[in-house]
Amino acid sequence: MSEGALPKEDAVLRVDDLQKSFGGLAATDHATFAVERGTITGLIGPNGAGKSTLFNLISGFYEPDGGTVEVNGTDVTGMEPYEVAEHGLIRTFQTPRKLEGMTVREAMLVGPRNQPGESFVKLFATPGAVSESESANLADAERILEDFEIDHLATQPATDISGGQMKLVELARAMLAEPEVLLLDEPVAGVNPTLAKKLKDQIRRLNEQGTTFLLIEHDMEFVMDLADPIVVLDQGSVLTEGTPDGVRSDDRVIEAYLGGGT
Amino acid sequence: MSLLADPKAAFADLTRPERWVLGVSVAFMLFLLGALLTGALGPTYFLFLVGLAGMYALLSFGLNAQWGFTGLINFSVAAFFGIGAYGSALMTAESSPIAGGFNPLVGLVVALVVALVLALLIGIPTLRLRADYLAIASLGLAEVVRLVVLNERWLTNGSAGVRGIPSFFKGWPVLSTFPETMPGLRLVVIPGSPIILGTSFWEALLNVLLVLTFAGVTFLMLRRAHQSPWGRVLRTIRSDEDLARALGKNTYSFKMQSFILGSLIMALAGVFYTHLNLYVGPGDLDPITTFYAWVAVILGGSGSNRGALFGGIVIVTIREGTRFLNDFAIPIDPAPMRLLLIGIVIVAVMRYRPQGVLPPQRELIWPSAVDGGGTTETPDSGVREQKGGGGDE
Repeated sequence: MSEGALPKEDAVLRVDDLQKSFGGLAATDHATFAVERGTITGLIGPNGAGKSTLFNLISGFYEPDGGTVEVNGTDVTGMEPYEVAEHGLIRTFQTPRKLEGMTVREAMLVGPRNQPGESFVKLFATPGAVSESESANLADAERILEDFEIDHLATQPATDISGGQMKLVELARAMLAEPEVLLLDEPVAGVNPTLAKKLKDQIRRLNEQGTTFLLIEHDMEFVMDLADPIVVLDQGSVLTEGTPDGVRSDDRVIEAYLGGGT
Repeated sequence: MSLLADPKAAFADLTRPERWVLGVSVAFMLFLLGALLTGALGPTYFLFLVGLAGMYALLSFGLNAQWGFTGLINFSVAAFFGIGAYGSALMTAESSPIAGGFNPLVGLVVALVVALVLALLIGIPTLRLRADYLAIASLGLAEVVRLVVLNERWLTNGSAGVRGIPSFFKGWPVLSTFPETMPGLRLVVIPGSPIILGTSFWEALLNVLLVLTFAGVTFLMLRRAHQSPWGRVLRTIRSDEDLARALGKNTYSFKMQSFILGSLIMALAGVFYTHLNLYVGPGDLDPITTFYAWVAVILGGSGSNRGALFGGIVIVTIREGTRFLNDFAIPIDPAPMRLLLIGIVIVAVMRYRPQGVLPPQRELIWPSAVDGGGTTETPDSGVREQKGGGGDE
């Protein structure tokens, strides 16, 4: 175990000794940490610390050179992203992904997993079941849009809304996939303060309802207010982990951010 | 909403491009009717053209299922078309160098199975990679299939092609002898130029019914698939494959399904062509067929089944309509004229309406879910209209 890691009884995500290098650069260098069920865990670190690489490794977009990733006690190392998602881990992206030609609620409906209507055969064999699940999903989508207070956008083209609204839609859609642990890559980057506060409230509300979060964020105020514990990444490995106050006053963290290197 | 119950409301419900297309189509049909009645256009030849239009519509449907739905770039439309054409020709023709003389239905099944195998062979290695690799591999595939057909004489008769292909309805009860048993009709609409409807007319009519069945069934199937959750995953892949993967969709499997579906529809077009033309040769596998299909899909609006249908008809109109240009004393060979016209059409579409003439304009949600899902609200106008076509509303 890495120094500073807290003991975790019920970890929904466990990353152990994960390694990945691109050429000579060790982007992820024996990173080890765990995310306790029911928490909002923050993942911070200076630019180039390897946060996004770590996300890509965990969610299956990159294949690790070594180490393991466990979701809900299942080893998902080296699995395809869709398989990792099936085990309950959903991620969002740093830049909002646009679904051209879809309305917001259409884009939302991509979220639910294992829809019967996603099987070509069932479209013709059991159209009734497809209808039923589609109605249920549509109702869910509209309920979640209402919870997020963006239901007025439902029939807007998904590409015509603001960047902040896209982030909200993305979070809402991820919730339709019913994740056990949701990885958010910079949820408030480029979002105005009002929407950022809204996002924060939403994340907190969803967390209270039982979703575990792991989020990368550069906005220190945002992450320190929302997340506990906070994992600090530097040069591909875990520097320390602790409460927001503990991390804030940690000399090594300050040094990593200021780039002292001494 | 129903067209018959309330035509005025149905018309008002259309978007501007839809009205435009409707108007042009009606005018074009009146023009054709006039040409038929005055005897300027032979009814048998006209039905052949309708068959050809249906065939191009099928090809466009197939490509639309790949490119329009999922964004797969397939440059081997001609190869899958050729597989369908040769597959059924070789199974059914008397002059077939391998076992010929089977029932055309056997030919249909064999052609589709061969197309399926070929789609798997090309899809398995390339669909896991970025989109460009499928484009490259399919370009190569088209040439490989064409050259195999040209050179493997023991299998395909080589450059001589396959002759003696029966009609699709050979061996069917009633329909196989239908054209012969129908009486010859002589219609006189304009005195002095009677219209004669003989055996060949009834044969052509059967072919038209066949292609209408093929294209109709395909259209309904694709329409249902397109507005289903299945189609939604394909559209997500087209926009952003990584997003689909992150949401737990097995994108490789979805891309494979879309690719196979499209390839089978193209092969179906080939099967029909065989029994329409009653001769297939290596020339039918020329890349130009691929590009006609691409032009049809882009012209109609990628992702739109109606657009693909429209595009297919426009292609046949240009291809065959140019034959009549000589009649109007334009002393130009129609063949280069054809390519020029198609080039102009593509440039004009790209310049003035890059999303195509009839892009998908309505929200695509499983219809009964929207009706019964507690929401009566429908979008004011099409998704793409709001996005790109600012001048259209």
